[in-house]
Amino acid sequence: MTRVGRIRTEATAAARSFLRRRTAVFFTFFFPVILVVIFGALVRTQPTGGGLFAEPAGYYIPGYLAVVVLFTPLSRVGSEIARHRDGGRFEKLATTPLSRVEWLLAHTLVNVAIIGAASLLIFALVLAVTDAEPVVSPALAVLPVFVAVGVALFCGLGAVLGALTDSQDGVIAASNTVALPLLFLSETFVSPDLLPAWFRPAVAASPLTYFARGTRAVVYEPGPWVGDLAVLSVLAVAFLALGAYAVPRTD
Amino acid sequence: MNETAAASTSAVDDADGGAALVGEGVRRSYGDVVALDGVDLRVEAGEVFGLIGPNGAGKTTLVRALTGTTDAEGDLRVFGAPPRAVDPQRVGLLPQSFDPPERLTARELVDYYGGLYDEARDTESVLRDVGMAGDADAWYETLSGGQQRRTCVATAIVNDPDLLFLDEPTTGIDPAGRRSIHRLIERLADGGTTVFLTSHAMDEVERLADRVALLRDGAVVAVGPPEELIAEHGGAPRLDVTLDGPASGDTAARVGDRLASGDAVESSRDGLRIRGVRPEAIGDAVDALDAAGVAFESLAWSEPSLEDVYLRLTGEEYSPREDAIPTAAAEGGDRDAAVSDGGDRDAAVSDGGDR
Repeated sequence: MTRVGRIRTEATAAARSFLRRRTAVFFTFFFPVILVVIFGALVRTQPTGGGLFAEPAGYYIPGYLAVVVLFTPLSRVGSEIARHRDGGRFEKLATTPLSRVEWLLAHTLVNVAIIGAASLLIFALVLAVTDAEPVVSPALAVLPVFVAVGVALFCGLGAVLGALTDSQDGVIAASNTVALPLLFLSETFVSPDLLPAWFRPAVAASPLTYFARGTRAVVYEPGPWVGDLAVLSVLAVAFLALGAYAVPRTD
Repeated sequence: MNETAAASTSAVDDADGGAALVGEGVRRSYGDVVALDGVDLRVEAGEVFGLIGPNGAGKTTLVRALTGTTDAEGDLRVFGAPPRAVDPQRVGLLPQSFDPPERLTARELVDYYGGLYDEARDTESVLRDVGMAGDADAWYETLSGGQQRRTCVATAIVNDPDLLFLDEPTTGIDPAGRRSIHRLIERLADGGTTVFLTSHAMDEVERLADRVALLRDGAVVAVGPPEELIAEHGGAPRLDVTLDGPASGDTAARVGDRLASGDAVESSRDGLRIRGVRPEAIGDAVDALDAAGVAFESLAWSEPSLEDVYLRLTGEEYSPREDAIPTAAAEGGDRDAAVSDGGDRDAAVSDGGDR
């Protein structure tokens, strides 16, 4: 079996296993939907024009996409590692030709597919329930690439969290602790001018910032996006490598 | 997961004189807890090797060390190579605690694990081998415990391994399922597969293993063919007498006095136990019971078994003397004699009746 064949086998099993867990599938898609409905349709801008959600609806498209690109891989890959460890699956896989890199790549592919579908749903929902008007240009074709690369990055981080924590509960707590600050401090829902001046440089340290900047340049405010995609890609490779190294091989 | 793009290790098979497994001075500690304390063992290619020992003796840690899924000190070689350098195509593993991916059918699980190898057996034939062909389309979670374990065994043999590690393969399996696994192991062994088997079922190990190692406190305390271990450590044949009513304080002594053979008589939980009785001497024992005026319900004669070896060498044997029944043997008998419930070599002799 070739490397591609092993990855395909692992990805097929992982996808089947996930898609047959109906509640997991439902909430994976429902979570971003309620977020869009709450913040896109229910929450109103302050009369003064300041505060949260004061920007035009289109500004927040990257934020809505970031919810699934960030949260879902972190919790899914982290939990998968916890389940594999608890079930002795890594012990078994250690005696097969499947490597840790291949395992993580397979699960990343599954996440890219799932989150790609969820992103499509979010995009359609944002257009349906808000007055967002995305810029239609050839650059829009890069949006799936941003989503895929962003998912890969956070799959790597999820693998690290899964390896560091010793239970599924621990994975969920850790991924929330990491994801929540990232979500709101990465130019997604909170624009930089709402943050103290001394803190703004720290925004650049968040990988999600490059996802938000790049996708915003693609769908809302046309501008350069290649640099953001490059940074995001380099970080994705680094986090995937770190994640693959962290995937347990022994007890 | 396997990190070594292992080429076939067949070229180094002869490095250990044809041995499939060699371990010398294998040590593994978890903090202050010593799991393996200098284990030495050698498993020949084509051999069924049984590993027995109490819970916590280090059996699973040893399996993990041999499969490269835990780090251990000492010299470990599998087909002449370090465990992690062995071609994974040649090794199959059923971990003791194993829960495969959810929501997959038995057939899909076998397909999945087979799909990770360069070459895999036909899924249907593997399912037939473990007796799961009829239930192969049910999700793993919906299978009974025994069917789940058989499915797990299937995932361990799907790559047609030269060396198969089975860590308690029949746990939770009913007698029919166990027999099907036993037959499978025998077929694999007949085909030349080396099987490394750990189990708490002594009858299973005694039946299947060519050689057995007993692990206690992380060290091998005995190793050899089951029959040799039994001859050396199993003690004498015994006749268990279930009395028709409670024994008086001198019952054992009265019977012992009337036994011409001088066999030791001691009190047991249900009556008396006479040690050293050969089958042809059972009649003499019955005569002695009659002469002593001891009424009994039944007699059961048994040879020593691997379970007796286990109980004796692990120090887990049951001692009737602790039941505070005064006996003749308690005063002058073998204080280390093992008393067990007997294995499948037990043979009921007669019900005795009210004599």
